[in-house]
Amino acid sequence: MQIDFHYYATYCAAFLAGYSHEECLAICYSAQFTDCCTRTLLSTIGGPSEAATTQLQLEMMDARTDLLGLQDITRIWASFHFLPRDLKADPEKGSRIYKAKYRLICGPNGDLLVKTVNLAKDKSLQAAGIAMHVLADTWAHQYFAGTPSQVINNTDYWFFELLPAEAPGDDADSGDSKENGNTKRAFTERRITFRHNPTGKDDLDKGIYTSTVYQLEENSVMSLGHGRAGHLPDYSFMRYKYLPAWGKYGEFIKDNPSDYYKAFSQMVYALRYLRGDYETFETEHYDTEKVSPYEAEIKEILEKRQLDSCADWKAFGEKLSGCEIPDFNANSYCAEYKQAPTDDKDDTFLGGYIDAALAQKTMVTHQIYQSDNLLAGYSVEYNESRFLGIRDFIHYIENKRKKGKA
Amino acid sequence: MSKFQRVQNIVIGLCMLISAAVLILLPEGGCLYIMLFLAASLILRGISELIYYFTMAKYMVGGKLILFIGAVFFDFGFFTLSLSDESKLFVLAYLLGFHAFAGLVNVLRALEAKRYKSTSWRINMAQGVASILTALICMIFYRNETLLVYCYCAGMIYSAALRIYSAFRRTAVVYIQ
Repeated sequence: MQIDFHYYATYCAAFLAGYSHEECLAICYSAQFTDCCTRTLLSTIGGPSEAATTQLQLEMMDARTDLLGLQDITRIWASFHFLPRDLKADPEKGSRIYKAKYRLICGPNGDLLVKTVNLAKDKSLQAAGIAMHVLADTWAHQYFAGTPSQVINNTDYWFFELLPAEAPGDDADSGDSKENGNTKRAFTERRITFRHNPTGKDDLDKGIYTSTVYQLEENSVMSLGHGRAGHLPDYSFMRYKYLPAWGKYGEFIKDNPSDYYKAFSQMVYALRYLRGDYETFETEHYDTEKVSPYEAEIKEILEKRQLDSCADWKAFGEKLSGCEIPDFNANSYCAEYKQAPTDDKDDTFLGGYIDAALAQKTMVTHQIYQSDNLLAGYSVEYNESRFLGIRDFIHYIENKRKKGKA
Repeated sequence: MSKFQRVQNIVIGLCMLISAAVLILLPEGGCLYIMLFLAASLILRGISELIYYFTMAKYMVGGKLILFIGAVFFDFGFFTLSLSDESKLFVLAYLLGFHAFAGLVNVLRALEAKRYKSTSWRINMAQGVASILTALICMIFYRNETLLVYCYCAGMIYSAALRIYSAFRRTAVVYIQ
């Protein structure tokens, strides 16, 4: 997903869940900041590099793909952008390493999503924002894994965009058929042309999209996440069918407008749970009460064929709250963090974000490790007397101990 | 390109340079060493591809490609090994054919990369064209064995230099969010 959904749509979801304008801004900033919090940014503000929630294009180019490098990449991408749906999934056949990779395939409504949302309960607004980023991405990035893997993330030439046969709403000529009173939409197929020029802009009219180059190496970073499918999973209007590498030649249809609507409704439900409106957070639950009055408006934004729907979501958010939503600026809180004395850094806005990011990364890494899967590295319970885990979590654990003593 | 791939390219490039040097310094026995080295590389590559196929790629859509690649490398490795005790001219002709074939593959990859608007097509094309030209020149002067060896070495040095150069180039990836 892109800034339009992670920032503006998250603002709208938070407002519908009952948060104030200021709280909504903190939540949506944190949600979008998850796409900006790189090691490079953290080094410029003096933050702990292990709190990185994403990797820059430049960082990706030089990413190591040896065992430790792959574990580092997996911790970042599986924790924040490709949350595994089922760590115990059984593909029936395959070697141990194949099964380990298969179990990292992202999808909505998994056990880890419940743990992610529960982790943000009674925590900061930054924690809520991170949880909303993770939740939204489980819908957009489903069928791909947050680890470099050709056998899981590869796609081939069998890739078609599904275009509505006629303009929606034009009943007379739409080609839609009515079945038991329900309108079934008709679609035409157009083969998608992928190109590999990273600076090239996607051409919606001609159906030409940018994706990563096919590499024969299993662990190439070109096969990380949905790189081989380009930005298609990130566009809310996009519908396509293709053969996922792991799908045993089964044709998968991805209906982004429908998935994004569910993501939005689930965000409202999750945020209401975090506010205390519900006792528990359960999967397959969507907030229809708050969202349905705006269904037509939201679906119109989701269906609109455009590379960036920021303006539409912004207008919708401002209509909801009656307040202006400032444009996202990744550096908004950097100076505050940088200038704060060392002991007070954790009390700043970014300090809270870093704490929440480390908590999420710790939780997901630990869950992956406990499922007998070493793709994200080793992990141990942090409340042991002596720290034995990987270096990434030292900052988080020391913080926990400090807070525990206080 | 990952760091491992960069190191791999540098190592292969250096091996090619050493092979060229050996061939220039020891024109008599050099061909045999190159054949043995080439055979070992092809067999090892074939085995690693076959292991990858049977442990993982077997379950992937289009994974048969890995099986074919592995089998072809493995087969070519043994074929190369079996030729090492043939006459020098025959061995050299085989090496040239191999060189020309590798060049053709490079050209095809460059054309595909160009079709996909990838910026890496030029270096592949240069490498491919140089390999094919080397093979063609050698075919023209096939009666002069010394000249053949030097031509082959020149082509190998050029390919090695391009490999090492490409290892230091930045390669772009599509940014996912």
